[in-house]
Amino acid sequence: MGRDLPARVGTVALMAVAYATCEVAAYADGRPRAFGVVFGGVLLAAAVLLAVFVRRPADPKQRLPWTFTLLLAVGFVVPLAGEPGLRHLLGEGFPLELQVVNALRTLGLLLAGLSAFPRLRRLAAVVALFLALFASAMGDQPAIPYLLVAFALCGGVWLVLEHRAGTGESVAVRGEVVKRVALRLPYREAIVFGVLAVLAVAVVVAGPKRVMLTLGELVPTSGGTGDTDPFARYGVGDGPEEVAGDNARTAGMVESEKMIEDNKDALVDVVSDLYGPPHKPRKEQEKMVAGGLAEVIQNHGKLPDNRKPSRDFDTSRKGPGDARKPTTSTAARGRYEVEGRTPLHVRIVTYVRYVADERRWEEGRKPGSRLLEHTGGEWMEVGGQPPGGWYAADDRHRLKVADPTDNLVPTPANVRRFRIQRVDKADYYEWEYEGVLTLAGRKKTPPGVVVNTDCRTLDPTRLGEDCFPTVGFNPLLAEVPEPLASDITRIANGWAGHLPRGWPQVNAILSKLRTDYTLDRRARAPEHHPAPVLWFLEESRTGPDYLFASAAALLLRSLGYPTRFCLGFYAHPDKYDPATQHTPVGDDDLHLWPEVLLRDGQWLVVEPTPGYEVLPVLKPWQERLADALTTVGAWAGRNAVPLGVGVVASTLLVLFRRRVADVAFTLVWTVFPGRTWRQQALGTVKLLERRAALVGNRRMPGETLAEWMARLPNSDTTLSQLRAVAEWAAYAPTPPSADIAAFSREAVRSWTCRRFRGGVA
Amino acid sequence: MTAVLDKPTTATASPLADLRSTLNAALRGKPEVVERVLACLLARGHVLLEDKPGLGKTTLAKALAAAVGGNFARVQCTPDLLPGDITGFSVFDQKTREFEFQPGPVFADVLLADEINRTTPRTQSALLEAMAERQVTVDNVRHKLHDGFFVIATQNPIDHHGTYPLPEAQLDRFAMKLSIGYPDRKNERDMLAAAVGKADGREETTRQAVMPAVLAGIQEQVAGVAVAGVIQDYLIDLAAAVRTHPKVPLGLSPRGLLTWQRVAQAWAFLAGRPFVTPDDVKAVAPPVLCVRLGPNVPADVIPGVLATIPVPVHPK
Repeated sequence: MGRDLPARVGTVALMAVAYATCEVAAYADGRPRAFGVVFGGVLLAAAVLLAVFVRRPADPKQRLPWTFTLLLAVGFVVPLAGEPGLRHLLGEGFPLELQVVNALRTLGLLLAGLSAFPRLRRLAAVVALFLALFASAMGDQPAIPYLLVAFALCGGVWLVLEHRAGTGESVAVRGEVVKRVALRLPYREAIVFGVLAVLAVAVVVAGPKRVMLTLGELVPTSGGTGDTDPFARYGVGDGPEEVAGDNARTAGMVESEKMIEDNKDALVDVVSDLYGPPHKPRKEQEKMVAGGLAEVIQNHGKLPDNRKPSRDFDTSRKGPGDARKPTTSTAARGRYEVEGRTPLHVRIVTYVRYVADERRWEEGRKPGSRLLEHTGGEWMEVGGQPPGGWYAADDRHRLKVADPTDNLVPTPANVRRFRIQRVDKADYYEWEYEGVLTLAGRKKTPPGVVVNTDCRTLDPTRLGEDCFPTVGFNPLLAEVPEPLASDITRIANGWAGHLPRGWPQVNAILSKLRTDYTLDRRARAPEHHPAPVLWFLEESRTGPDYLFASAAALLLRSLGYPTRFCLGFYAHPDKYDPATQHTPVGDDDLHLWPEVLLRDGQWLVVEPTPGYEVLPVLKPWQERLADALTTVGAWAGRNAVPLGVGVVASTLLVLFRRRVADVAFTLVWTVFPGRTWRQQALGTVKLLERRAALVGNRRMPGETLAEWMARLPNSDTTLSQLRAVAEWAAYAPTPPSADIAAFSREAVRSWTCRRFRGGVA
Repeated sequence: MTAVLDKPTTATASPLADLRSTLNAALRGKPEVVERVLACLLARGHVLLEDKPGLGKTTLAKALAAAVGGNFARVQCTPDLLPGDITGFSVFDQKTREFEFQPGPVFADVLLADEINRTTPRTQSALLEAMAERQVTVDNVRHKLHDGFFVIATQNPIDHHGTYPLPEAQLDRFAMKLSIGYPDRKNERDMLAAAVGKADGREETTRQAVMPAVLAGIQEQVAGVAVAGVIQDYLIDLAAAVRTHPKVPLGLSPRGLLTWQRVAQAWAFLAGRPFVTPDDVKAVAPPVLCVRLGPNVPADVIPGVLATIPVPVHPK
């Protein structure tokens, strides 16, 4: 123990953070695997035990015992040697450099465990620093910056503890023994610093953001990043560009540069770029008539409906080409920026009817009524039927238009109200499709527009049978094309027909697709296959997300749920940028999903595609805690037997820990009694010392054997004889004339843990 | 079960026991003090007895001198004592027309320097060379002392009037400093009973218990007691801890460390062991250290150091 114990524990903590950083950085999804976590946990526990119980050498420059050297060598070799086995077992492995890093971090944890040796302690810190730097260079997972901050904090504390460990003891400097002044740990300063740090974090997390940003402006920068408005980053404008006015065309958003014709991608180009162009029948040959510039100008850059390209979505596509052009924009890093909880589905186009012959989804119709109402405070309320009683608290988002393809006003599904500053008249907006809001009379939404939204969240597991309508909706929403109907119905009934109507059935369809089917954006149905959906469902079981969505929509329709097919953007949580606290949404995030109509006219977003999730319900912390407890309880219920065995075993282990440890120590003593008479005698004393330590009669480091034994209860001649033998073994040049084995056996037999505690042997 | 320890079976066991019992008879009820004085004697070190008046310092010193035989000399230290009164001096012989050296009391086998702190530092310093090197130099002539030269000095820590504290260099020449303390009730009763009927109040004469040659042989044996490397490391660790202790004004000198080892050897020998253990080192630590760590060292320093430095119970 001693003054360096905090430094030892600090070294283990430092190494543990470095280990975790490497574990997170090793996987692209930033989610450590269970095996790695368990292995790391076991290693960490071993390191902590070693750090606490390995005794500090009297001479800091003492050579490492061969057992520890062997342990370090094994620690380094095992991850390398075990890699082939892991590949076989887990089905995934690491490249060679990561294998070496894995071996290095195992070695580092063991070094940290042996930090009773000052040189190893410093070496462990160097290894930890290397691993942290390596992980920061290797991975860009969202958790990495936080882990690096934790590492930096641990590193700072470690430096203090390490400096302190070297003080208060005597060292030889050029032949002279010098005592270093013992350093007091700065508890008071640490507490003050900790309180300030917590306050700072609290202000940043929960405090007024404008104040913080204004303070940030005091720090000189190169400028141009829009520090006062995080939404204005990446050159997409400089703050809000909306002005008040009565006329939507003149008083709406200011477009700094009127571009009637430009070379930017339209939505259809983006879709084709991501999923590949549709297969086209060879017989049909399109005629293309180019419109003149004057005509375009007359229409304010917006083509009349009869000239617009069809937005129908073809489910028979060629797949994306190999040489895709870069989708990154020099003006913005994505089409939109999202502030708020993700994942988030932002609709662009909705499709209602599936045309089996042409293997395509037909886009929905524009709804007749506007259903928008200005409710004051610049908020626009979305009207419609009264909402059902199954919604949870509203969730707020801010979506910034960065590089739009059209005049979409990006809103999450189930938006209840929205606000674009002063643009607060219903005339400014129109519904392109049901639930898809656009700016009326504009070709494109101006970059820089910030849309504030409040959307409803709901927990679908609470949706009962009566939440899904059976009548009173557009019949096309429940239509399954005749050529597919029998197969689709058969599959749907096989998957969910036996379940009660409602969410259980919907969930069964979704779960089956999510678990038994594989997402592959490059997969494509054969060119002349009559039904790509059936090809996906029954043959390939692999496909892009539009086939997942199509299959789910048709399967749900066959079970009687009004369902539609949606194209939109998916704000992926993995893309969250902690620097800006936004999630950028780019062309790569185009996604298709089905939506189920609810009784109150709202659409329930469902996700059949593996890897995609729906925005979870916003719950208060009490409810989240209750859910967590329920989940834990359910897990415990499912694993009652192993859990019970584990709890009983752990309890027994805790209750009889002394006996278990004693049996283990005695077993080691019995198996390895020592080769020489010295080792036998000293090994016996060591065993007795361990027994005494187990019952709280540990020999203090400054105590001699005689002093220790003198204060033991019921000390007798057996013990004093053993002491004499041990002293001969430790200090005498020649062996005593005594039967050491007999002394040892007698002492071990008579001096049990119970006797050391004061009881009778 | 067979015996573990091999007690020394040499002929020295009996003279040692005789010496021990003789000293115990002279100083009643203080066997631990006697044991330490014996250890000091066997380690060929000098002893400083410091205690209040009338506790038996001089009695012990005289008894020890008588018990080990040889020449005994006593110097009653006073402020007017001169160095020559201790070392000896040269006088001019009218007949031979030459200077003739007259040896002082330092040429005895056992020298009792009573109330040593009452003489001047100049006179105290006359003992430096004699105690450290067992020789004196007078008028540029080196005179060798007896091999078994042994100094017992006494001093009174209470009465400071007209005293001169011993300099550190002088203190370092002593192997240990001992206090005797008051006897217990039973021993005081015995002492009173023994005094009844003795009209002159003189103390009993102590007989010689060991011959000088035998004593020299025992001292040779003590010097041969084994000291393991881990024990020497332990001694060095303790010395380093003492030197760097913030409350210790004066560190332990290498001479002090050597003395400590020799006294520990003697302690092990007295215990009948042919090797030194950490217990021996710790047992003799207080009297060996307290004489050479400087003034005003708190009483808890030495026990604290002994309790802090790990004992090499399991040498590698």
